[in-house]
Amino acid sequence: MIERIQNALRQCGISLWRINEAVEETAELFFVRQKLDTRRIKDVRKYEVSVFRDVDGDGGEKRRGFTAVPLTAAMDDGQIAEELRSAYYAAQFAANPFYELADPVKGPLVEKTGSLAEKPLAESAGIMAKALFAPDTRGDAFVNSAELFISRSRHRILSSEGTDVSYTDAQAKGEFVVQCREPEDVEIWNQFAYDGLEPEALSRKVEESLAFVRDRARACPDLKSGTFDLVLSGDAVQELLGYYRHRSGAQSVYAKYSTWKLGEDVQGDVQGERLDLTLKASAPYSTEGIPMEDLPLLRDGKLARYHGNNRFCRYLGVEPTGAYQKFHCGNGTVPFPELKKGPCLWVVTFSDFQMDAMSGHFGGEIRLAYLIDGVFVQPVTGGSINGSILDAQKNLVFSTERYTSAEYDGPYAVRLPGVRVAGAGK
Amino acid sequence: MFELIDRVKPGLKKLVATLRETYPYASVLAVADECRTWVVNSSGVNIAPSGRRGGTGYVLRVFDGMGCAEYSFNEFSEEKIPALCGILARRLAEQKEALKGFAPLPTPVPADEPAQLRKCSAWRIHPKDMGDEAIVEKLTALRKKALAYDGRILDAQANISYRAFRKLFLSENRDLDQTIMWTAASMVAMAARGQEIKIAYHPFSALGGAEVLEDMDKDVETVAGEALELLDSQPVIPGEYECVCGPDTTGMIVHEAFGHGVEMDMFVKDRALARQYVGEYVASPLVTMHDGSAVEQAATMFFDDEGTLTGDTVIIGKGILKGGMCDALSAARLGVAPTGNGRRESYERKAYTRMTNTYFQGGEATPEEMIASIKDGFLLESPASGMEDPKNWGIQCMVTTAREIKDGKLTGKIFSPIVLTGYVPDLLKSVTMMSKTPVLSGSGFCGKGYKEWVKVSDGGPYMKARIRLG
Repeated sequence: MIERIQNALRQCGISLWRINEAVEETAELFFVRQKLDTRRIKDVRKYEVSVFRDVDGDGGEKRRGFTAVPLTAAMDDGQIAEELRSAYYAAQFAANPFYELADPVKGPLVEKTGSLAEKPLAESAGIMAKALFAPDTRGDAFVNSAELFISRSRHRILSSEGTDVSYTDAQAKGEFVVQCREPEDVEIWNQFAYDGLEPEALSRKVEESLAFVRDRARACPDLKSGTFDLVLSGDAVQELLGYYRHRSGAQSVYAKYSTWKLGEDVQGDVQGERLDLTLKASAPYSTEGIPMEDLPLLRDGKLARYHGNNRFCRYLGVEPTGAYQKFHCGNGTVPFPELKKGPCLWVVTFSDFQMDAMSGHFGGEIRLAYLIDGVFVQPVTGGSINGSILDAQKNLVFSTERYTSAEYDGPYAVRLPGVRVAGAGK
Repeated sequence: MFELIDRVKPGLKKLVATLRETYPYASVLAVADECRTWVVNSSGVNIAPSGRRGGTGYVLRVFDGMGCAEYSFNEFSEEKIPALCGILARRLAEQKEALKGFAPLPTPVPADEPAQLRKCSAWRIHPKDMGDEAIVEKLTALRKKALAYDGRILDAQANISYRAFRKLFLSENRDLDQTIMWTAASMVAMAARGQEIKIAYHPFSALGGAEVLEDMDKDVETVAGEALELLDSQPVIPGEYECVCGPDTTGMIVHEAFGHGVEMDMFVKDRALARQYVGEYVASPLVTMHDGSAVEQAATMFFDDEGTLTGDTVIIGKGILKGGMCDALSAARLGVAPTGNGRRESYERKAYTRMTNTYFQGGEATPEEMIASIKDGFLLESPASGMEDPKNWGIQCMVTTAREIKDGKLTGKIFSPIVLTGYVPDLLKSVTMMSKTPVLSGSGFCGKGYKEWVKVSDGGPYMKARIRLG
């Protein structure tokens, strides 16, 4: 297929291009309680071709446009050429200031190793399914339903500039819902993602969630409105800190949505911990074929670099990094038991915790929180928080305990003082 | 359009017939599609395949001794039939071996009643006919107009995307073929207050084509004005208020707060409180709620991704919960008829019960009467996001704008952002006024949790209710 695409590109007179090939196979399991709802398998091979076209701007300056088009092996050669011509025609109307394409990179296949990459998909799915239900042994709280996706993929990136790289990947991800029926019938939704076969980690996560849902079942629904020291943990910490990744993105800076400058103290006048963030490479190459490696993002609260795709990094005059999905936070000074010493509100789960990186506001509806006042700990549910990272970032304190997911590696918890909470009293 | 479907149809029929020799049920859904998005903003012009497109490919469904199984693939020819059947059998056997100890969820084999259909939705201007140049010119002009409105506008974005697709569903007794095009667009304006960026947004959508661009011009200055208004916004004092919801906010409440809770795959899992309330009052008698394809909007379709014909499902009738919406597998498990709501993000994904066009019916009041009836409250506009809670009917919805109402008049004071919380039946039972005409919008996608994105529309009339704001 790649040869057919290259022939069509030549035939259409398209000299600047990139081809992305992705081959994926999956085994997917869907459960209701511990019974199999549906089994799914998938084998797909997909191609996306980006075509670039140089045009003269109104002032005679050189401009570069591009667009992309998906192609399938079911297309005959005539259809492939027609799709590429259509994309090439469109590209002249997407002309933007000129930039050089990604530098050429050649390399051997980078193969992911480890049991998830090497075992048959069905076997990995079976191992993770058994791990997911292993803690589900008591009747009072149980796994209501679960979805499990085991995937293996192979990616190849070629470009007219000479790039030809490829790598393989494997992932185990999914979600599960835990339920407790007494005294209130409640549930907690969870998701997980691992880049290795991690049955023990999955079992631990299910076990922790079962404990939380028991607490949610007895949680008090009359949290009063007010201002609290807020403790966030797990995925909510990742969501909160995602603000810094977004604001440091080359596209945000180029578009002037972010005014951050390299070396600038973006945290301001800090009384809490100064942030230490690192972008983590979760694949050897970006979709543009840019080699990816771990990169410092914030050091001591100061912006260490911009990051992003080739075009916007070129515009800013910085080395293109590729788009990162994962980051590491090196902070953490206080053991978690001390961090959540009262008075504070530790929110364990939200219906949907969101950080709006444009406005700096974060918020969500509380599914389970612990209202901690000295030694007294009251599980509470309902109500919502509505805060701003612009205010909170001056006083962040992180736990020494760590938390890892497919997109985050950092402190398990963070404490933010003075966050507004709308109560839930019916 | 999509001649691929005509080419592969004879082979797919043979594939279904071959599978039926082994399995008590077999069907295939074939999808071919095209899509494109045009965006103009300060980053430049971007033309790309739409995000969250479906893609071109196939999904087989069979029933074996372990229940329902599916196989998604995107390369097919008649010569591949033996290989495809072999892969399916081998991999299902491997899964069976790896899953020893897990029993299947009892599921009756689908009835597969005979049906034939071939339909195509209408559009006035195919985006391809309008052409990339004209579309980019139009979007560029819209953006310039927004930027010219006031020097404080940091950026403005105009965009449009469309997806046209043809779906063929074949089983032993069904031969269904539909071609549909939806188009969605939006106008966005941004203004900065220090590091905080305020965003105003107006969506446009249609079961149709590039004709949606014709509606955008008149809203440009309104969007820009709203972004500037937000610069002076402040947080609301948490509490319960009398509110008038604009049609877009009504739509978010319909969809997020109630709609997800009547997706009946949640009934199968005992994840929806609504199951216990069928036949009971869950809302004010002013509330009647529909889902389906009786209206023409972005999620209209003639059959769903499991080969069930679509229609109009009344979810709430004058305040009483009549029932839910249902995919075919859940319907078989619950012993009810499917409602044509089995939808997939793409041929690569599982079908779940999903909403389509979901809305509250209109009432008798006018928006002016509603505002005049409020002593101390808000007009809620511009929904930002929402999350479902079918199990406990908790509300989490965020809106961008709350306009203060004092003594029956808008004061001009703006509060933002606003989190709506509370208990769904409390909110719906507090509805005291509905305006006459529902307005639907389908510019976005709906996820099941955080994935499985499908095109939906939602809406309703202006609605007056008591709502807890934070």
